[in-house]
This record gives sequence, structure tokens and C-alpha cells, in this order.
Amino acid sequence: MFLSTFARSGSLFLSICIPLAIVGCQPNASNTSSPPASPDKPKIALVMKSLANEFFSTMAEGAKQHQSQNSQQYELVVNGIKDERDLARQAAIIDEMIAAKVQAIVVAPADSKALVPVLRRAKLAGLVVVNIDNKLDEEILNAESLSVPFVGPNNLLGAKSVGQHLANSLKPGDQVAVLEGIRTSFNATQRRLGFEQAMKDAGMQIVDSQSANWETNQANTIAASMLNAHPDLKAILAANDSMALGAMAAIKAANKTDAVQVVGFDNISAAQEAIRQGKMLATADQHGDQLAVYGIELALKLLQDPKSLPEDRETPVDLITAGSLPK
Amino acid sequence: MKDHAVSSNRAIQQTLATYGGLLVAILALLGFFGVFAKNFLTATTLLTMANSIPDITVVAVGMTLVLIAGGIDLSVGSVLALSACCLGWLMVDLKLPLWLASLGAIALGACCGGLNGWISAAFRIPAFIVTLGMLEIARGSAYWITDSNTKYVGSSLGWFSDPIAPLGVSVSFLIATAVVLAGQWLLHQTVLGRTAVAIGTNAESVRMAGIRTTAPMVTLYAICGGLCGLAGMMQSSRLSTVDPNSGVGMELSAIAACVIGGTSLRGGQGSVVRTFFGVLVISILQTGLAQLGATDPIKRIVTGGVIILSVLLDSLRKQSAIR
Repeated sequence: MFLSTFARSGSLFLSICIPLAIVGCQPNASNTSSPPASPDKPKIALVMKSLANEFFSTMAEGAKQHQSQNSQQYELVVNGIKDERDLARQAAIIDEMIAAKVQAIVVAPADSKALVPVLRRAKLAGLVVVNIDNKLDEEILNAESLSVPFVGPNNLLGAKSVGQHLANSLKPGDQVAVLEGIRTSFNATQRRLGFEQAMKDAGMQIVDSQSANWETNQANTIAASMLNAHPDLKAILAANDSMALGAMAAIKAANKTDAVQVVGFDNISAAQEAIRQGKMLATADQHGDQLAVYGIELALKLLQDPKSLPEDRETPVDLITAGSLPK
Repeated sequence: MKDHAVSSNRAIQQTLATYGGLLVAILALLGFFGVFAKNFLTATTLLTMANSIPDITVVAVGMTLVLIAGGIDLSVGSVLALSACCLGWLMVDLKLPLWLASLGAIALGACCGGLNGWISAAFRIPAFIVTLGMLEIARGSAYWITDSNTKYVGSSLGWFSDPIAPLGVSVSFLIATAVVLAGQWLLHQTVLGRTAVAIGTNAESVRMAGIRTTAPMVTLYAICGGLCGLAGMMQSSRLSTVDPNSGVGMELSAIAACVIGGTSLRGGQGSVVRTFFGVLVISILQTGLAQLGATDPIKRIVTGGVIILSVLLDSLRKQSAIR
């Protein structure tokens, strides 16, 4: 009886310990990226969306690099969620960070509304909170009477400049289609609006606009259908590069590579390759590697001088074309 | 002479009874979208559809074999992504020739599948749990080997899914068709296939009869995993990229295709050809709704409704057949 209980709890113990040991061995286990610090060094938590997404993993890398260059100034804890839509987990991470007594939280919210209450708890606990990448909803911030500085790109203007570049190689009246991101996300809306403004200003006709949920494969199916439904389509504007890749494949399969142009957003490496090869016209770079760093810098400033007024900071978005890429 | 005519009549009747319902459903969907969606009933649209289904088709064939034996494989999407990433790594980073890299990717898929089968059969652990674990392991490994980056593999794989000039369909599609036929043959004409049905019907009596169940289960899961590897290759060639995020939720589409095709989740019943029809139903819906310009919520609601409706009709048909 006793032995079997022991055996049972023993195996449970082992099954918990083995994965922990594996995690411990991993060279860049992301939870602590610096040695134990002197007590006066502030600890900043960077809470990201999915680290499985290239954009956010680049962002985290940039932050870690910044920390290792400024290791005297602060300590960094990086956390991400498994799935971009796992809001509950992201909120839980923020609660855990409050409990872990970090001094500041820099957060890329997975949802612009649902994260507000938990961030309010963080503020009440006396933490500095900085919002990066995806802007928190103004109305809800006001309703909770909360002010959180935002550091991030203007997605609308970025998408507009991509659209304007595309318009230069089209004729007024040409038919175009838009592949949108997940509709509930602020970025997706902003990029769609930017594309729409650019197309409207240049007199293009948007004949179709559907969400492919940021995904390559879904974008491929939908773009193929768009090409069939609108044989005269001249361009597809994708709200991120992953969807642009899917659209490119659909265009290639339909044998319309010369007739239909593609633009994207994010400047991931696969898109750069496609732009160099002339399969894609343009994308936008919002300097993901620097985004978290800007947020951390603002958090440090607010920690040093709590009375300074937190101000929003717009980060640059650059148009990327074959001409602007290094050969 | 007369006898022959009667038996061929019966064969036609039987074929109609087996496939008739699904064929009617497919024709109805084609008709509906033909009327309401622009340029839907054209050769281009149909060929586009044919060339976009090979990956889900071969995964669904693997899933059918596993389901018939009373198992389930939730890890198919992750194993697909892992195999695709492995293919990209072997081709781009290690510069291996295509045939070797493809072989490596398919072998990796088969290993993941085989491991699923071995752990669940040899230790009698529910496949649901084992493959759920594999779902996480394979996805994590896919992120690991790609550093979470989408990799551009270029057009060296393109021939695999580019339409062949006179036919209009791709090599992938032809392979997928061959896989469907081979799957049907395996199920009905081989010892492994009959054993699978027997295990799915009543595993205990198969064991009592002195037949080992571990080896066939390992083989079936390995086939399923290998087919996921093949699907990974098909998807990467179609998209010219390998993406560690690909195939998320694919297990559900594959199970849906099997279920629409009448495969029982309790095991012992199912048909590979009918699963293929299930894939067609799903892909016609997907393409048709996209061509109509339907919004995402509508797409999901309609797809869910069609899955339930088709299974409901199938079960009503079976009940009336019994009476």
C-alpha cells in the first residue's frame, strides 16, 4: 500500500522533473536573461504575443540584445503566449509578473480591449506600464480612467504608403483585392483602412476584401478564389507578409505572375527574398527588433523620473521595395 | 448471361448506395455555388480546387486508416509542419538533393506516427492522449528547427505542385489520387487492412484470437505520419515556403472529412474513397464561400452546419436501411 503510493507519487515526481530539467538545459531559456542583480536594479517584464511568430521573436531578440548591452541598468524577463488568441494566458502572465514584483511591464497586447483590466491592476500595484505594438482601446482606457503610453508604428500610414507605391504601377480604375488580418485586431483594421485610403485616392476599384486570419495557407485558398471570381484583378494587398506569400503562390498557380502584383506588410525574410526576385512589389518594415527597445527605454525613463509625463511615441515605418533592399 | 446482368445491376445499386448520398451532396454544392458565385463552374476554378486539396487529402487518408482501427491521431497538423520544416532545413541549410530531403521529411513523419502507435498500443494508453502530446512536441520542434521563422524554399519544389501543361492538374494531385486508391486497396485487400477493421471493431477479441495488435497499430500510425510528411512536402511546394505555423487545426479538418465520408469515430467502419468525397465537400465549401466573398463568421457557421447535417443524413439513411 505504502510502497505503491510511493511508486505512484515517485513517477509523478519524475514526470514533472524531467521536463523541468530539459527546460533548464535549454541554452536560451527565455525566463531570465541576466545574472541575479543588485537589488536597486529595476526589473522589467516584456510580455509579448506569440513568440512562435517571426515578428515577435525578432522583437524579443532585439530586447534581449539591448539588455545585454545595458545590463547595469536593468534586468529583463521575457514571456510570450503560445497562441496569438490566447488572451487568458496573457492576462495570467501579467498577474504573475505583478506577483513577481517587477517594476515595469512592457506589453504587446494580444487584444486591445481584454487586457485593460489586468493592466489596471498592474498600475494600482505601482508598476510602470508601457503599451507597444498593438494600441489599447482608447474608450476602454478612458472608461477605466487609465493612461498608458503607447509606443508603436502608425499602421494606417504604413499601409497607405505601401498602397501608394502599388498605385504608381497601376492605372486608375484597375481592380484590386485586399487580404485582411484577424478582424478583431487593431492592426488589421488600421492596415485595411490604410490600403483602402491609398486605393481610393488613386481611383482604384476594390472588388473584394476578405480576412485570411494572417495565415499563409488560408490566404492561398482565398486568393485563388479571388483570382477566379475576378479575372481582371490587377493586384492583391495583403495585411501581412505571410498572407502575401500565400497570394503569390495562388497567382503563380493561376499562371498570372505578370498580370497580378502583390504587396505585404512586416518585411519578413521570406518576403525580402520574393521582392528581390520580383515576385512581390513592396512591403513595410516597422522595425520589430527596435519596437520593444523603444518601449523599454520609455519604461526606464518613467522609472527614473516618475513625474515625467508619459507621452506616446510613434516609431518609424519604412517602405521596402527592390530598390531599398541590399542586393 | 442473365445472371451476369443481374449481378452487374446489383453492383451498380451497391455503388449507388455507398457513394450516392455523397455524390448528390457534392453536385448540390456545385450547383448552389454555380448559381450564386461568379465564375464558379469553370475549368479554372475546378482545377484550382483540385490542385489545392492534395495535402488535406493524403492526411485524411492516413486519418481514416487510424480511425478505422479505433485510434485517432490529433498530431497530424503538427507532424505536417515539423516534416515541412525538416524538409526546408535539409534542402536550404544542408543543401541536400531534393529526393534525399523529401525522403528525410517523410521518414521523420513516419517516425512520429510510429512512436504514437507504439506508445498507445504497447502500453494501452488512449491514442487521444498520446497524440495530443505529440501535437505539442512536433509543433515545438518545428519552431525550434526554424527559429520560428518562415523559410522561403524557392521554386526548386515548384514542379511538384505546378499544373502539368496539358492536364491542368499537378503532380501532387496525381499522387494524392494514387494514395486514395492505394489506401482503399490496403483497407480491403490486405491482411493489415482487414486486421485494422477487426481491431477497430473489437480489439479484445482480436487479442483473444491470438493476433498481435501492436505491430499493425504501429504500421498504421506510421503510414499516417508518413502521409503527413508527404502532405508537408505538397504544402511547401505549393506555397514555396516552409512555415512552422502551417497545419494548425488540420486534425479537425481531416477528422471532419472522414466523418462526412461516414467513417465511424468508434472504429471498425469507414472507407478511404468516401473520405476523399468528404475532402471534396469541405474544399468546395471553402472555395465557394470565398468566391462568394462570405465573411469569416459566415464561413465557419456554414462549414460547421454542413458537417453536422451530412453526418445526420448519413445516420438517418443507415437507420432506414436497417428497417
